[in-house]
Amino acid sequence: MKKSEPIPFEDHFELSKNKLQKILDIALSRGGDFSDIFLEYRIYNLINMEEDIIKETAESISLGLGIRVIADEKTGYGYTNDLSVEKIKKAALVAASIASSEASRNASSLKQAQLSHNFYPVLEPAHQESLERKISLVKNTYFSAKNFDSKIDKVKVSFQEQVQFITIVNSEGLSVSDARPLVKLVCLAIAKKEGKREAGFSGGGGRVGLEYFSEELTAEEIAKDAAQEALHLLEAKAPPAGEMPVVLAPGHSGVLVHEAVGHLLEADFNRKKTSIFWDKMGKKVASSLLTIYDDPTIPLSRGSYNIDDEGTIPKKTILINKGKMSGMLQDRLSAKLMKSSLTGHGRREDFSCIPLPRMSNTYIERGDYDPEEIIKSVKKGFYAGKFQGGQVEDSGKFTFSVSSGYLIENGKLTVPVKQATLIGTNIDILKNIEMVGSDLEFGLPTGTCSKEGQSVPVSDGCPTLKIVKMTVGGQK
Amino acid sequence: MRESEKQLELKELAEKLVTFAKTNGADEVEITVLDGYEFSVDVRLGEIENLVEADSRSLGLKVIKDKKTAYASSSDLALETLEHLVKNSIERAQLANYDEFSGLPSLFPSQIDISSLNLFDPQLAELSADRKIALAKETEKIGLSDKRITNSHGASFETREVKAVLANSNGFIQEYDQTYCGLSLGLQAGETDSRVEDGWFSAKRYFHQLESSEEVAKKAVERTARQLNPRKIKSQNVPIVFEPMMTSWLLGFLFACVSGTSIYQKTSFLVDKLGKRIGNDKVTVIDDGLIPGLLGTRPFDSEGVPSQKTLVVDKGILKNYLCNTYAARKLKLQSTGNADGAGVGPSNFYLIPGETPPEKIISSLDKGLILIRTIGHGLNPVTGDISRGAFGLWVEKGEIVYPVSEITISGNLGDILNKIEAVGNDLDFRVPVAGPTVLVQEMTVAGQ
Repeated sequence: MKKSEPIPFEDHFELSKNKLQKILDIALSRGGDFSDIFLEYRIYNLINMEEDIIKETAESISLGLGIRVIADEKTGYGYTNDLSVEKIKKAALVAASIASSEASRNASSLKQAQLSHNFYPVLEPAHQESLERKISLVKNTYFSAKNFDSKIDKVKVSFQEQVQFITIVNSEGLSVSDARPLVKLVCLAIAKKEGKREAGFSGGGGRVGLEYFSEELTAEEIAKDAAQEALHLLEAKAPPAGEMPVVLAPGHSGVLVHEAVGHLLEADFNRKKTSIFWDKMGKKVASSLLTIYDDPTIPLSRGSYNIDDEGTIPKKTILINKGKMSGMLQDRLSAKLMKSSLTGHGRREDFSCIPLPRMSNTYIERGDYDPEEIIKSVKKGFYAGKFQGGQVEDSGKFTFSVSSGYLIENGKLTVPVKQATLIGTNIDILKNIEMVGSDLEFGLPTGTCSKEGQSVPVSDGCPTLKIVKMTVGGQK
Repeated sequence: MRESEKQLELKELAEKLVTFAKTNGADEVEITVLDGYEFSVDVRLGEIENLVEADSRSLGLKVIKDKKTAYASSSDLALETLEHLVKNSIERAQLANYDEFSGLPSLFPSQIDISSLNLFDPQLAELSADRKIALAKETEKIGLSDKRITNSHGASFETREVKAVLANSNGFIQEYDQTYCGLSLGLQAGETDSRVEDGWFSAKRYFHQLESSEEVAKKAVERTARQLNPRKIKSQNVPIVFEPMMTSWLLGFLFACVSGTSIYQKTSFLVDKLGKRIGNDKVTVIDDGLIPGLLGTRPFDSEGVPSQKTLVVDKGILKNYLCNTYAARKLKLQSTGNADGAGVGPSNFYLIPGETPPEKIISSLDKGLILIRTIGHGLNPVTGDISRGAFGLWVEKGEIVYPVSEITISGNLGDILNKIEAVGNDLDFRVPVAGPTVLVQEMTVAGQ
């Protein structure tokens, strides 16, 4: 890869170090153990194409700051998008009110931290490229899908790009900044045959520049993938219903690790003992074939960041080591209360949100089995190909929704099937993983994870997996 | 909205930007300004967990030049930033394609008396922070006092006030204030490896209409505890009873399929079905933006088109798609006042209740499943296919015999609408998309 510099940080806040220092002092004026300020300036651009025309473009600017005070287990939070001193002070006082001590504290003096790493080595930052160039990328995707097959009836393409400039200062003297690019190109294709209609979806992106669409994944490839899925579904049958062996395709099936493992190893759910994992650290919770990481440091990946949203430098974190629970995803509050070290997983959607422990890029480490061999080992079962998403509860019950897949009969993929829901309890399913493939892939780089109303970009990955039995929801 | 000075400011700002856009070459322009205040408190195990309070403002704009459209929005309300965004948008609009259907709605004579819609509770602002915190604490305490409850996700109390100002170059300029308050509780029952969870909430525009801590907590406990010791069941086709929140979920999916946007984009299985039968005669669905005091009520939509009552499905016949101005022009229909941002949204979208009490619907079942929660995705508007993870209560000879979990339900919305056998009398507008208990003749349940 060619060399590149980090996106230069531009200061949009016009708040001097002195002023920020004073605001932190106000935030701690009623005691409080810790306080921080999250300043954000974000420019977002969107291009939509449908019915053969560029229908609309949009530009959005988000500017504001959030002030947090932590006192014991309590968090006070105020935010404002009016950066006048009066409004900022008001937000600081709101946050301060959570503490009730007589004695005020002073924040340590701020020292600017310089980062020595850059996980977004982009060459052509999208926000600096011309709109014309992005429009031509959209048109190229659109017509590639539209012209892929005469059965393709409708296509929608959307290009979204943003750059988020953040500065975080805290009462321990930290001052650190980051500029995070994020790009996403998605294509929806609808195929029609004899009155039957089916939709296919694909996309690409990450913390990348526009060079991604010539070097990594082209507009044509994205279009083809969406169109092929729609055509595949035209021929697909309703899935079977009941318990059966399930083979998960590599890449897309990463949603399994996200739902079944990742969420329940977020530290807050364990600190509160609502997660099924809270009493299982060091214990065997999964098949010994399973090793799972969350790694925010993968260059260019959608879930990566140079610093988390509390200013912590992130670490690749092992969650499950050969079937044993080995780690959790921490933010500052949970790490403090659990007396654990920080892993750099405190994330927030924007300046109006309190940070929470979140996933970044979560994946199952590759195993030893040849993927072909895994499919061959199944006499009658279900092959889950592409996914719409999933959901989990703290109790470990989770589902994921398969948009397209195949029946497996005598070790071969046979009839294409559509729209199936798989359901299980995570610990049962994790123990039932019988084979792990050698073909680790990441799923569509367009995923967003939602928790307590906050959305953050994530990615997930896994190799081909075989689950001995799982409930497949289909038609009887 | 807290100071009268600010009101003037925002209306003036909106008008000023309309003029600025016109002077700089826009043919048409629409400006929306939102000014909000929020307070929220989360308590857990008797202590405050989070307390958030903030004012925030944002502005959205749409410009049309030569029938080409561009949008922009900002949370930075500095005039300099906004004027820059307007200019950028006019320039950017040139890069979109000519679209004969674009453009603002024509100006409607305003006949709606905003104050009669009961959107704003003046007393909410007087509610002290201490009282709000106490309400959340009280709710959780009642929930935890039940022996079956083993952990808490916490209780929350939230209030919001929002002023919306809308101005456009056709001469529309109006504003309205609204309030919202909500109380909720999430609970767990059972031991770590056999946990079940659920919760309950109440949300209203007026504080005095909000259900009490006691009511919310009792319901949360009952909903959680009834799932303890679930069983698995065999895969089979059985009658399904949708509880009101489940009917609401189903109606949300129906809304997506009758939205004018999905119709002209042909991403709905209800394309070309206007005037045709899509369900049996028990199915009458209405969208009504004018019912006083409800959460989905508003005087006009995001384009300034007055809200209205629209008959969507009449005894099984599809009568209207719900449209914003753009979708209406594409489909040669009239806007139904359902514009929501750049898309289409429901106001109060509901299934007309029947006369049967829900208990009677359940006691009439020889064998079946009461659907109480679903998780996951698995809705496909293009085909109407539904497939979701589900939790339920198993019914035999008219009695609930045990809870079930780790099942999925699947079916097709088109089929379901034709197989509705009974509609309950228990419609309550807890959420803007709402329905009573319904009995569906048959769906597939997958289990063991």
